[in-house]
Amino acid sequence: MRGRKLRTGLACACLGLMMAGGASGQTSDFGGLPAGPGQLETFGNCTACHSTMIITQQNFSRRTWDEVLTWMVEDQGMWEMPSETRQIVLDYLVTHFGPES
Amino acid sequence: MSDQKEERGLRELYDQDPERADYLAFGRKTETDRRGFLKGAGLTAMMLAVGGAIPFARNMPSGLIPSALADTPEDFTLFGKTGIIIRNDRPVNLETPAPLLDPDVTPIENFFVRNNGGVPEATADPEAWTLTIDGEVDNPLQLTLAQLQSDFETVTLRMQLECGGNGRAGFNPSPRGNQWAIGAVGNGEWTGCRLRDVLQQAGLKSSAVYTGHYGADPHLSGEPGRPSISRGVPIDKALEPHTLLVWGMNGEPLPLIHGGPLRVVAAGWPGSCSQKWLTRIWVRDQEHDGPGMTGLSYRMPRNPVPPGAEVPHEDMVVMGPMPVKSVITFPDTLTDVRADEAFEVRGHAWAGEHEVQAMHVSYDFGATWVEAELEPPTNRYDWQRWRARITLPAAGYYEIWARATDDTGVMQPAVVPGWNPRGYGNNSQHRIALNAA
Ligand code: HEC
Repeated sequence: MRGRKLRTGLACACLGLMMAGGASGQTSDFGGLPAGPGQLETFGNCTACHSTMIITQQNFSRRTWDEVLTWMVEDQGMWEMPSETRQIVLDYLVTHFGPES
Repeated sequence: MSDQKEERGLRELYDQDPERADYLAFGRKTETDRRGFLKGAGLTAMMLAVGGAIPFARNMPSGLIPSALADTPEDFTLFGKTGIIIRNDRPVNLETPAPLLDPDVTPIENFFVRNNGGVPEATADPEAWTLTIDGEVDNPLQLTLAQLQSDFETVTLRMQLECGGNGRAGFNPSPRGNQWAIGAVGNGEWTGCRLRDVLQQAGLKSSAVYTGHYGADPHLSGEPGRPSISRGVPIDKALEPHTLLVWGMNGEPLPLIHGGPLRVVAAGWPGSCSQKWLTRIWVRDQEHDGPGMTGLSYRMPRNPVPPGAEVPHEDMVVMGPMPVKSVITFPDTLTDVRADEAFEVRGHAWAGEHEVQAMHVSYDFGATWVEAELEPPTNRYDWQRWRARITLPAAGYYEIWARATDDTGVMQPAVVPGWNPRGYGNNSQHRIALNAA
């Protein structure tokens, strides 16, 4: 799985190479976001300001993703998503870029 | 030996993701503008790359590799960078692999890039670039780059610059931000004038305690006038004679991607104190509170917290100088070496505002340590070359660990130091793997 982190051993030494290898190699559809429920909502809401790479290099808990979404709105000039959409995006992020993914 | 090259030719980029390649290479944002108009710097870059004007640039579909380039993709690299790891393409964040940090002065083409916002368009007339100094000063100033260059003493210093989040990838649980491994650091040869001299000309009031820096980089949201980041330093750091207003890097005009034509370099502090595309220094009568100074950004817990803790914002304090650290630049990790044969291990070490006093390496997982030869810095904040000769006793898998000690006796930890919500200040020992045969 791309973006997964080595936690032990040579994490720092090897990580750069591993992640660099995985950083591209995506189709241009949805900026390389994996398919699944919420892909469209996430792409639509999250790529106006930055690319998907800022998302795909992360592995966050639900709480941290929740904080990020709030931070985007409160500090980074993002619009408020309708709460239903926000939930779909949050679920998508945790599913694909959660601590275990 | 790993030969996974992070280098990306234009053709490879286009093959993998045409729209992203378009953005990387030419600044075309197809996600916001489906027709992908070529504009400004992007157009210039493409014209330079294909060797002439593109009359129908407006009609050129995005994601289509210009045919003039198609045959020579390897000549085209990202902002002139080679061998760099792309952590993020928009905003542009690029990391230097450890072996490319080997030269005493990091070449521009390998120097890491950290951006919080967009890259402004290159100015046609750098000498007219204007810096405003205002706030707690007797005489607010407006100085052009030409005036900075002629009215103040010019100095050139070698100084390391490191992103506060360098090493973030080592923290668990994963903190927010670019997942830098070890290469969000470089040692530049910076030419400029002392910020101190400029502040003295403006006349600091006794109420001056902090600086607030502003740059021309557009916020990612595109909202005009909204700063991407605005950090600063305590007035003592601003008055420190090594804190410079910089217009030259490694003997060249400061490149756009590194903040040209004018930036701050406040070495030894998180890189975000060294504002790029500098337009204003607001002298403050309190700790600066621009974006990047408050909340969790560029702040550390006042007292240590357990990994993953939710830290109330009022328990966070602004990050100070960077910790003691070192990097192994040779050999590369996963290299094959011969048992029973001496070889050189080398790299650089630096220590925030301090000097590195000793350097040690271990090839037995930290059980015993060999002292390395350590060179003095050419000036304060220059990183220091170290070398050790090592002989691995028998065939097998080894790790080389490197540990720097600063002039106060503080040394790099073997494990990742205190977890913090945004993952700053990981100065754990750099390790590489070697196979002895
Ligand atoms: C209005 C603009 C905007 C939108 C829309 C936006 N972001 Fe961001 N985002 C930013 C800015 C600005 C940053 C900070 C970049 C920096 O400082 O490096 C950022 C940073 C991030 C980061 C890095 C976290 C960090 O602490 O640096 C993540 C992850 C992220 N955004 C995820 C998202 C997701 C998921 C969405 C969609 C729900 C989203 N963003 C939508 C502007 C935006």
